[in-house]
Amino acid sequence: MYARVIVVVTLLFALGAAPVGAQDAEALRRELEQLKRQQEQYQRAIEALSERLKRLESQPAPVAAPPAAAPPAAPPATPAPVAQSPANPQTQSAPPSATDLLRPRQPFALYQQRGSGQLLFDMGVTGDFVANITQHNVQKAQGGTFAGRENRFFPREIELNLFGQIDPYARADVRIEAGEDAPGAETGVSLAEATITLLTLPYGTQAKLGQMRNRFGWSNVVHEHDLPWVDRPDVYRVFFGENGLVEKGAEATWVPDFLPFYVQVLGGVFNGDNETAFGRGLLTHPLATGRVVTYFDLTDTLALQVGASVANGETNERLQSTLVGYDLKFKFRPEGWLHPLLTLASEGIYSLRQGRESFGWYGWGEVQPWRRWAFGARYDSTQYPATPGYQWAIEPYLTFLPSEFLRFRLAYKHTERTHRDLLDPNVNGGSARIMDELFFQATFILGAHPAHAF
Amino acid sequence: MRRLFALGVLALVVGTIASVPLVQAARKLRVVTTIPDLQSLAEAVGGDLVDVESLTRGTQNFHEAEVKPSMMLKLRRADAVIENGLDLDAWADVAIEGANNPNIVRGGRGRIEISRGVEVLEVPTTRVDRSMGDVHPRGNPHFSLDPGLAPIITQNIVDGFARLAPDQRGVFEQNRKNFLAKLDGHMAQWTKTMEPMKGSKVVVYHPDMIYFLTRFGLVQAAVLEDRPGIPPSPQHLVNVIRQIKDEKIKVILVEPWNDVKLANRVGEEAGAKAIVFASSVGAVKGADNYIGAIDYNINTLAKALL
Repeated sequence: MYARVIVVVTLLFALGAAPVGAQDAEALRRELEQLKRQQEQYQRAIEALSERLKRLESQPAPVAAPPAAAPPAAPPATPAPVAQSPANPQTQSAPPSATDLLRPRQPFALYQQRGSGQLLFDMGVTGDFVANITQHNVQKAQGGTFAGRENRFFPREIELNLFGQIDPYARADVRIEAGEDAPGAETGVSLAEATITLLTLPYGTQAKLGQMRNRFGWSNVVHEHDLPWVDRPDVYRVFFGENGLVEKGAEATWVPDFLPFYVQVLGGVFNGDNETAFGRGLLTHPLATGRVVTYFDLTDTLALQVGASVANGETNERLQSTLVGYDLKFKFRPEGWLHPLLTLASEGIYSLRQGRESFGWYGWGEVQPWRRWAFGARYDSTQYPATPGYQWAIEPYLTFLPSEFLRFRLAYKHTERTHRDLLDPNVNGGSARIMDELFFQATFILGAHPAHAF
Repeated sequence: MRRLFALGVLALVVGTIASVPLVQAARKLRVVTTIPDLQSLAEAVGGDLVDVESLTRGTQNFHEAEVKPSMMLKLRRADAVIENGLDLDAWADVAIEGANNPNIVRGGRGRIEISRGVEVLEVPTTRVDRSMGDVHPRGNPHFSLDPGLAPIITQNIVDGFARLAPDQRGVFEQNRKNFLAKLDGHMAQWTKTMEPMKGSKVVVYHPDMIYFLTRFGLVQAAVLEDRPGIPPSPQHLVNVIRQIKDEKIKVILVEPWNDVKLANRVGEEAGAKAIVFASSVGAVKGADNYIGAIDYNINTLAKALL
């Protein structure tokens, strides 16, 4: 009887306790699931950390034997105080985290984390000042090389250069220049160049679009401050105007990879705004340009570049204007020299405009026996493209380069013209048929400046 | 018209077929380096799997290399370009732009910069400008001939090659290990040779030996250049000559491309010996490869300093 009571009580207890046990099991199950989720989270975290560790380990290990500290006993020759200890800014600063990226910030806040001395793009300023002395009659006629600015010292070209990669596919170059166009306190500011270059096109091609100095000959692309002379050669000044050929449009280049020597083929389409040679200024009647340039390393120290260019467009009077040019450049750079000892070059342009044929060319030679000094001379001979007659000039010069970033140049130019038709006869009655000019040029480079090819 | 079209199609087919063997044959990676030191290291890492050319010669000043179209031709055909970085070979950008090769433009898979991970010396700690000469804002870029940095440089080259030929990573790694093992053997000898000279002072013409000198415990006491890249003024030379005499410095190190005559004159005046050293692979006879160039410098210095 007693046993029966015990069994019944136990059963009742068990029945009563069953819901409680079920509740515990449910709680346990939830707890287990939570633990499982946590474990999965931990697993993912461990995997992420492992991956990160793997990446870090795959980077170069520090050298086993770090450089022995050997501070110089004497003051360092470089005036800048330097850290002898390793201090690569790139390796020192941590990359921005996701939180950093989401945090409101100033435009360059993240950039600043990359460390000092680095810019998103390069920038530089170049300055080019020119003084010229000439005869009074040349000044009156405004027929000098720097027309309207005879017997003046003036800033010819102060240029702000901004350039760099836009993204992995393209780069941009912007050049804004200021300079004196006419006597007076005013200085004009203009856009010299602004281009996008598409770098990743297929089949060895590349495209450039915007406003640019055209690749016609080798010297047209060179900016005033980088020219090896004070003034642009007469043939360019007479056929394209004082600034050479600068146009808005697009050009594409192709460099074949199957030839044993370098060849670049170029084709371009432009508005044709240049009023001296073209002037129609419409894409419906465009200026088309073409160029082929090749290059030969004759020996380790001798090199030759040969090019041919063509430009065809319409003048303001809707007449065809075609210019065909050649260019040659030869350099002798003795082994180990920091500069060429001898540079020889020539460019010529044949012009066919309104049925009139004309031709102009120049020859130039420069010797640079010392790093800081160079001297040379240029001979110009140019027919006029729109009127009869021609002019010739000889221009010896001396260049002094205190450093790579500063240059002074002294030049003398003697010019003779067959007659005065090129000039406006109504300007003060002056004459510039024969003129002698003395030039002084001072040029500086501040900040970044891209290297120049051959 | 139809005939022209048929001819065009035929030319296309023939061209495609003809180009297949060329593509198949071109299994080696075509690599171009900006300086010869990197050519030697790339050859060591790449072995038979690469063809390597350098844009410059060892006898040149790499700061002022002239960008020639012949460089562009080499780069036009390249699968990869290896550059030193730290602005030593910034001119390479111009050459690469003229090459019309999308593989090697900045951000391209074939662009390999070997300064990544290098502990850079002489990083300016204050504002720098050109009054200090042609100073490098990111530090001294002449690290390639420091044998202690070869592990980092070669690792960067392996990583770059493996991006282009992932299947060959193992081969590149093995080549690197073999090269570093060989270098270690030489390193032990070089360290032993230079041990007695530790702490010795030397004068350099241009500050391009700091990594090497520091590695072997030598001290760069003075630089002949007034400021980097700017020819020395007479007053500066007088000061350096006085310092050489006062501190009894025995050696002036001069690059083959620099003004050796001036270094000799200073040496004669001060009672020191001007030595042309291998500023790069190929700079002097006997410095035909990476190990050879370091070997040349060690032996030349040891002989002069003893």
